[in-house]
Amino acid sequence: MTFAVVIALFLGVRYLLVPKSFGEYGHYRGLALAENADRPLHYSTSANCARCHEDIFGDKSKGHHAGLSCEGCHGPAGKHVLFSDSTHTIKLADSLILKRDSTRQFCAVCHEKNAARIKILFDTINKSVVKVVEEKKHNHLFDKETHKLLNCIECHNPHDP
Amino acid sequence: MRKPMDKSSRRTFLKSGLVLAGGVVASGLLKPFNAVVLAGDKPKGEGPWYGIGIDIEKCIGCGRCAKSCKLENNVPMEPFYFRSWVEQYTIKKDGEVTIVSPNGGIDGFKQTVPDNEIFKSFFVPKMCNHCYKSPCVQVCPVGATFVSPEGVVLVDPNYCIGCRYCVQACPYGCRFLNPEKNVADKCTFCYHRLQKGMSPACFANCPTKARIYGNLRDKSSELVSFIKNHTCMVLKPNLNTGSKLFYNALSMEVR
Ligand code: HEC
Ligand code: HEC
Ligand code: HEC
Ligand code: HEC
Repeated sequence: MTFAVVIALFLGVRYLLVPKSFGEYGHYRGLALAENADRPLHYSTSANCARCHEDIFGDKSKGHHAGLSCEGCHGPAGKHVLFSDSTHTIKLADSLILKRDSTRQFCAVCHEKNAARIKILFDTINKSVVKVVEEKKHNHLFDKETHKLLNCIECHNPHDP
Repeated sequence: MRKPMDKSSRRTFLKSGLVLAGGVVASGLLKPFNAVVLAGDKPKGEGPWYGIGIDIEKCIGCGRCAKSCKLENNVPMEPFYFRSWVEQYTIKKDGEVTIVSPNGGIDGFKQTVPDNEIFKSFFVPKMCNHCYKSPCVQVCPVGATFVSPEGVVLVDPNYCIGCRYCVQACPYGCRFLNPEKNVADKCTFCYHRLQKGMSPACFANCPTKARIYGNLRDKSSELVSFIKNHTCMVLKPNLNTGSKLFYNALSMEVR
């Protein structure tokens, strides 16, 4: 008798504790898959930018930076691409604007000289994936009027360097 | 008084011991670790089964993978929470190995060892290996971490109790406890992007295609030909985790 009660109790508690979709696909809650899939996007894709920024997209596709993604430099634009209404877009584009005077640091993330970037140094692999410069030396010039350091994009088009 | 062990029982004891040891050895032989899963026991089923290929020769250490991962997945910005990050290994001429990963590589790398002391130096991007015999999945006491039908290791944050077993169990250091939600957090292969037909953030933002992903079931996929055409290795193959992250040109100094 007590045995039957304990079993019934166990089944009751088990029913309450085990989530509904448990075991649907495997030893886990099936709904967790859908929840993981439904998370919001932050990044869009470069192909998406082409819709409205054809000129820049075109420039980029023929230059050395063809392999780079737009958002890799500009940051996440998932919200920006959703709005066709220009007032919205201008506001949302603020975060995507790259500041002119930050490029010496920004371009260096990929182009600063580093032993691991110039594999050619160690004559094992006779190639380099990216051309490097020394930020402290390469055209480390000051503007005649403003006396500010010349930025990389003064001479290189970031979309077609 | 202690009874001396009877001869026959000692014999059976030794015998069963031998059989046991033999069994262990035999089962080890039956399942040799297959570093390259292509020849191994793929789970049954249809549809994609994802793996990753990382080409160390192509990585320029720009850290765009680490940065886009953080922003795409709301990973806490502190410099010790990462789902994806880059390490620079430098092997000096005297054999010393230094490993640096300033903020996971997001702000760029500064060379720490002068050129003339370097034997070789390279970047190693790291992320969840999405193992198919994951130690992290096996230790979860509540079934809150699991492998999806696509071979992606996921966490169910609603049922995770934050016990940290999985954080300890992962030999690659790919898990952490989310400080806000107090649940285990890890790379989801950008499951939300995959299901919408988009590449995960770290792959989409790699400027040199140093990292690719693909379907291991499809023998003509880019990833399978990457594995075929390069000398690929997984991290810590001796642990037999069934890692699905294949590195080209992985030096044995990498841990
Ligand atoms: C629906 C059309 C549309 C799409 C898609 C779109 N943009 Fe824009 N974008 C605009 C408009 C409109 C502006 C504001 C007008 C302007 O300043 O040129 C803008 C402005 C910008 C700016 C700031 C320019 C400045 O100096 O003010 C950047 C950077 C930018 N977009 C990047 C992107 C990237 C990267 C993508 C792809 C992920 C993208 N955009 C996709 C319409 C779009
Ligand atoms: C190498 C990094 C990099 C990549 C890749 C890149 N941009 Fe830019 N982009 C910049 C920088 C730096 C500026 C600022 C230029 C300036 O101030 O003159 C800029 C400016 C812009 C502007 C506003 C100024 C203008 O010239 O109209 C837009 C719009 C823009 N980018 C869109 C894009 C789109 C779309 C893509 C992808 C096709 C892209 N960018 C890829 C670095 C990049
Ligand atoms: C995310 C990494 C990344 C960033 C950021 C980046 N570049 Fe590049 N850049 C590359 C890669 C990769 C190549 C080589 C592509 C190729 O030729 O296949 C390249 C090529 C170039 C080249 C051509 C070199 C040659 O082969 O002659 C120039 C010049 C250049 N970049 C300048 C810049 C400037 C200026 C900036 C800053 C606005 C910048 N890059 C930002 C990755 C980057
Ligand atoms: C005053 C103009 C000017 C500025 C500023 C400038 N560059 Fe250059 N850059 C050039 C010219 C001209 C070349 C081609 C000749 C050469 O190799 O020096 C070049 C070449 C390059 C190359 C290819 C090097 C190679 O080995 O072929 C890269 C990469 C590069 N620049 C990146 C940058 C970066 C990053 C910055 C900002 C830190 C920058 N440049 C600032 C003018 C400039």
